[in-house]
Amino acid sequence: MSAKPRPLRRPSRQRMSAIVRYAILIGVGFLMLYPLLWMIGGAFKPNHEIFGSIGFIPQEPTLDGVIKGWNTSTEYTFATYLLNSFKIVIPKVILTAISSVLVAFAFARFAIPGKKVLFGLLIATILLPKSVLLIPQYLMFREFGWLDTFLPLYVPSAFATEGFFVFMIIQFMRSLPPELEEAAVIDGCNSLQILWHVLVPMLMPAVIAVALFQFMWSMNDFLGPLVYLSSVENYPVSLALKMSIDVTEATSWNQILAMSTIALLPSLLLFFAAQRYFVEGTTVGAVKG
Amino acid sequence: MKIAILRNTLLAALFVLALPRIALADNVQLRMSWWGGNDIHRTLLDSVRRFEERHPGITVKTEYTGWVGHLERITTQIAGGTAPDLMQINWNWLVLFSRHGTGFHDLRDLDATIDLSQFDAEAMAMATIDGRLNALSTSMAARLFYFNETTFAKAGLAPPSTWDELLAAGPVFRDRLGPDYFPIDLHLQDVIALTRSRFVQETGKPLIDEAGKRVNASPQQLADMARFYQSLVDAHVTPDVRRRASYGHVAPHEMRPWIDGKFAGTYQWISAIGKFIDTLAPGQRVVLAPYPMLTDAKDAGLLYRPAMMYAINAKTRHPRESALLMEFLLNDPEAVQAMELKRGVPVSRRAIEHLERKGAMQGLSVDGFEQIEGLPNAVIESAYFEHARVRDAFIDAFERFAYGRIDADAMGQRLHDDLNRILARTIR
Repeated sequence: MSAKPRPLRRPSRQRMSAIVRYAILIGVGFLMLYPLLWMIGGAFKPNHEIFGSIGFIPQEPTLDGVIKGWNTSTEYTFATYLLNSFKIVIPKVILTAISSVLVAFAFARFAIPGKKVLFGLLIATILLPKSVLLIPQYLMFREFGWLDTFLPLYVPSAFATEGFFVFMIIQFMRSLPPELEEAAVIDGCNSLQILWHVLVPMLMPAVIAVALFQFMWSMNDFLGPLVYLSSVENYPVSLALKMSIDVTEATSWNQILAMSTIALLPSLLLFFAAQRYFVEGTTVGAVKG
Repeated sequence: MKIAILRNTLLAALFVLALPRIALADNVQLRMSWWGGNDIHRTLLDSVRRFEERHPGITVKTEYTGWVGHLERITTQIAGGTAPDLMQINWNWLVLFSRHGTGFHDLRDLDATIDLSQFDAEAMAMATIDGRLNALSTSMAARLFYFNETTFAKAGLAPPSTWDELLAAGPVFRDRLGPDYFPIDLHLQDVIALTRSRFVQETGKPLIDEAGKRVNASPQQLADMARFYQSLVDAHVTPDVRRRASYGHVAPHEMRPWIDGKFAGTYQWISAIGKFIDTLAPGQRVVLAPYPMLTDAKDAGLLYRPAMMYAINAKTRHPRESALLMEFLLNDPEAVQAMELKRGVPVSRRAIEHLERKGAMQGLSVDGFEQIEGLPNAVIESAYFEHARVRDAFIDAFERFAYGRIDADAMGQRLHDDLNRILARTIR
């Protein structure tokens, strides 16, 4: 009889601790997600309610913001801007991934004369503020006749211009054992075959991290499209969202929040789909194996 | 006889109507850029379509954005020689892009197309550099005092009309409504404009001496500007910087206390007051207050300047067609009717007459316009007062003072030295 309560008490204590742990986690998680929930809620609020209340559940829910936001105040609907964003972002992500891996491979595995200086230069470009390059690059692309096209926005990524990504992949490569590549050389692989058949499969987490970062940064890039694209029909989402913010007119935040929510969906979906690799990828190079 | 006259007038009318079309080249493509909000985009798109209908040989490509980033965009375009034919610009950009008046097309060359006689000489003088008229303003702006009448009524006061009444309202607000209520909300930028206005009322001089490339005030006078601000804070007239900062980095018209009427006033651009009214919680009324004047002031010290302007690219291949579009947007009844008072009271006399005929000349912006007309307003502040470097120097000095890092005298000296250094370098 006296043995009976024991097995009961132990699971109940475990359950208690689980309940407390989950309560804290859910509480903190809710707090972290609150701005996001507020944004989604704000999309369905009338404009005057947005600043009036801190709650995210709309008191007088309306689709007005979504409809007007989607139609925009321009000649085009929001679909045009979403599509434009993808026309920039997809080639940019692909080109960045390919070029960064190639350049990182060269830096990590080959003896190039002046490698240290070149690597130093590469790192220096990370520190260079982008606005410094703006006008020289603008003049260059004008000579190419590329203004008001998407080319200036993604073609540079074919040349591994994002030093940070190259650096990240190099760090990852340094943790990979060179013996595998030596074995591949003995089997008769040339350099590119080694890269493709041996290194790239192992590099996948880092490449996915690069792709995700580039995806998010390019989706949010404002200055590039602002300067290179002059036609409204070519605007991406980042520009379209700021179209209705003026100094003299009250801003229809509900429309902006509604469209922000829609614009966020691709990023969110992609992140969830690649989450496992992403978390692994961002911590690469932190510990050398 | 009658028929002959009729026929002749008809012929003459036909001839006059047909003339501009013959003179214009076929299939001209113009580019036009502007910034604005939803309302402005819709209105201008519509007006541009009407313009195209009236001038079948001309198509207009519209390139518009919000306010954020527009200066960066236009800077690269001008530097790269790819700027649009017709652009909306800000008045203080003239000193950036057209230091010697050659940055934009001289509109006096185009006076056969644009009816310059509709524009106020003073407004045109503000856009004339070395004798060249660089731009025409759509509307004029100045900062005026607006108060939340509802909150003032709760405190048992009428909106103040003198500096003394403004100072006296603070303690009344604190005692009758509570410590969270203030008669006016002043951002540091507003503080600078407001103390400048008082400086001009006291001295009758603009704050920046553009010809001398220096500030017109002594360190002592600049310190007095800081002291006046301190007296506003001490008298509970305006919230101090710490309290304002506690509401976060939010635009003044989107701050909670403004929305629910606890901050019951603003010293605001006449062109921007609309958005302050739009965000108010329902049931409140904002009114324009008489401009406070010192007893012996000869000038109100308004920061009077064009709200926004249209300019024609100096390198355009189609100056005449661009001028036609500009004339249409500023003077033509159709475009004026569409724009109404969305950008404030227009400068063009013909536009005002048209709006008066249509009964559209009413509301806060018209009240403000009339107040400005009635105030002594001869002192024109230099555009360098709004130069980014000058503004930063003011904000930096006022911020240090407002947070108690330096006293008024040190602030005056520092600001004086900073301004002179910056002005000597930037005015060329």
